Amino acid sequence: MLRYFLKRLLFLIPVLLGVSIVIFVIVHLAPGDPAEVMLGPSATQEEITNLREQLGLTKPLYVQYGIFLTNALKGDLGRSIKTNAPVVDEILERFPVTLTLAILGMIFAIAIGLPLGILAALKQNTWVDALASFFALVGFSIPNFWVGLMLMLLLSIYIPILPSSGFDSWKNLIMPTIVLGIQTMAVIARMTRSSMLEVIRQDYVRTAKAKGISDRLVLTRHILSNVMIPVITIAGLYFGHQLGGVVITETIFSIPGLGRLIVDAIRAQDYPVVQGGVLFFALCVGIVNLLVDLLYAVLDPRIKAQYRAAK
Amino acid sequence: MKKFRSVLLALLLIGVFCLPAFASELRLAQVADISSLDPHRVSDIYSANVIRQVYSNLVQVNENMEIVPDLAESWENPDDLTWIFHLRKGVKFHNGEPFTAADVKFSMERIKDPKTASPGATHLKEVQSIEVLDDNTLKLVTKRPYAPMLMSLTRYETSILNEKAVTEAGADYGSKAAVGTGPFKFVSWSRGDKVTLEKFDGYFRGPASIDTVIYRGIPEDATRLVELESGGIDLIPGNFPYQEFANIKQNDKYLTYMTPAMSTLYMGLNTEVKPFGDKKVRQAMNYAIDKQAIVDAIYFGFGAPSKGPLSPVIWGADPSRQPAYPYDPEKAKALLKEAGYADGFDMTIYSDNRTERRSAAELIQAFLSEVGVRAKIEIMEWSALLSTSAKGIDGAFMLGWTGTGDADGGLTPLYHSFNIGASNRFRYKNPELDAMLEKGTATLDQEARKKVYAEAQELIVQECPLVFMISQELLAASTKNVKGFLLYPNMISPLYAVTLTK
Repeated sequence: MLRYFLKRLLFLIPVLLGVSIVIFVIVHLAPGDPAEVMLGPSATQEEITNLREQLGLTKPLYVQYGIFLTNALKGDLGRSIKTNAPVVDEILERFPVTLTLAILGMIFAIAIGLPLGILAALKQNTWVDALASFFALVGFSIPNFWVGLMLMLLLSIYIPILPSSGFDSWKNLIMPTIVLGIQTMAVIARMTRSSMLEVIRQDYVRTAKAKGISDRLVLTRHILSNVMIPVITIAGLYFGHQLGGVVITETIFSIPGLGRLIVDAIRAQDYPVVQGGVLFFALCVGIVNLLVDLLYAVLDPRIKAQYRAAK
Repeated sequence: MKKFRSVLLALLLIGVFCLPAFASELRLAQVADISSLDPHRVSDIYSANVIRQVYSNLVQVNENMEIVPDLAESWENPDDLTWIFHLRKGVKFHNGEPFTAADVKFSMERIKDPKTASPGATHLKEVQSIEVLDDNTLKLVTKRPYAPMLMSLTRYETSILNEKAVTEAGADYGSKAAVGTGPFKFVSWSRGDKVTLEKFDGYFRGPASIDTVIYRGIPEDATRLVELESGGIDLIPGNFPYQEFANIKQNDKYLTYMTPAMSTLYMGLNTEVKPFGDKKVRQAMNYAIDKQAIVDAIYFGFGAPSKGPLSPVIWGADPSRQPAYPYDPEKAKALLKEAGYADGFDMTIYSDNRTERRSAAELIQAFLSEVGVRAKIEIMEWSALLSTSAKGIDGAFMLGWTGTGDADGGLTPLYHSFNIGASNRFRYKNPELDAMLEKGTATLDQEARKKVYAEAQELIVQECPLVFMISQELLAASTKNVKGFLLYPNMISPLYAVTLTK
């Protein structure tokens, strides 16, 4: 098990290396450069060339990449062109914010989505099912920036109980959590429902019921533990999705997170921040995927056995 | 019971956090957070606004864009190349250091140093030498007679820094430390979120009335409005959404502010590309477009068709000018026929993805098609648009120009042939105009300069290497509690005189 874990961890290295090359090439091949953005429309060619030189952008690309990579291995992602602050500081300052949001969003999604899906499956083809499915469909379909603005209108203006932006207290987190989690909530609800319906019809469930085990126990012990596997898969996938989707939420609610950092950096063509930020995101998604795989083993003895066999 | 107690404690804590709101705290929201408080290393308007509160310059502009003393009490020109500045005595930096002429020398040399790579270096490029005559007297010599010197010294990029503070902070200057002589001192910056300033009791004009200033960056228009409405912020000092302004003007809970912007929007034409080399074609395009319709559609009426190459608030803009090229499609067609393009021609309009510019391009496209010109629109990344158009773009391009506040900064970069390959994106060459623009900077007599620039403006309108478009209005709004706020045409409004009533 531990060996499997380490092997998977090692596998992250080529992934990150690949990501670093791709992102490096993309940001440098994109038209324009940071010197032009910073100096604006009135810049002369000399001024642009001088700034480029100061920023180390006149060296050949492979040399620049080499410098970036060797520094990155030492944990130094360079300094932001725009703010002159170390990129690592910028990322570490912002990451806790984004992570908090992503985790809260996921908790919200599971806390609402899972019961909703279970309820819909247990009351299949009744109005409860229809209502739950409708709710899930709506949650999946409406754009989340719209939800954000509507929530703001409702809870900051009509019933002024929540602040509409910023990141000063727990109150600031409520609306962003809902906005971020709502789509994942809908997906989890639908996934839980269909997976429940499948499991309910399995022989072992019928056997358990025939043995006279109470409905409640059948649900928690026999059904739910099997339902969880596809749900965890989806939740894991959507966690990465949420880390990306956090950009919109952070922008609407003006939260100083990693998503906004990267988007702003892309606009300013702040190469070091874009490279460092994307690399960091890739690392996060990689780790989450690994954790999800390990969770399978915890939940499913068959998979655990496979991992054992694989060593 | 325990739970109840912790809730009570939480409420109490929240109460404590709310308390400072009763001291006078002014909260502003801009479109973006600052990028740094090192004036020599930034080029964005959001940082500039905060820099303006923290630092002073030798001279400043007032709300009418007229030059007024700041750290320099007076100045004189013994000859056309020399500027002697008499500095204010007894001024202190926020770190307690006294302000002297050496700080000015240090600041200017730092800006000019290629290692600093300051975006503002361009404002001092005519400066030959800086000499400290004594603690309170500074001598500045220019390479050639350079009349716009004072305007350059009002720029936030030429703010005066303290050498000791800069050296002590090293690479962290601007993010963890920022020391000026302005009415507010830097307290903290939570990156991506907000920057907090505090009143400086030792300010040379006396302490400001407000105790604390918080500048937040809120990128979404709607969120900024919600914050203003829900009392989360007091003032939106610029970039108020045009479509919402008529509404908030009618609401008597708010104060609104409006002033013509320094910047103008135009559609540039690369005069080296066929058929834009032909003056008649360029004039025809100017007549073909109904600018007022574009002002109404995109700026909701908050703007006016351009009267020429300069916004009316720029020093040297000729106040007697009428809107350049009124809408006249028949005249446009006639001119095109004269030029041999009776059936029109094909062209491309390049723009970046900003909604206003893209929409303006779409409307232009529609107006041009009425006179037979078939335009297609290409959207480009901002910096790509800048560099491609500098090298010579294959058609027309949407761009704005802010300049320095002086006619020279609004005309020379765009129209002097020396700047072909950089900011003269029309690639327009006219020796007569070049001579006028040079004359405009070479004489220090301001009235004589105005005459030269009036002639230059007329010539540019006649020659029109661009389609004159719009002078937009700057819009801002605040709650009724904010008193004494003045919106400056350069969008950098000082808060020193602002008071708050609660």
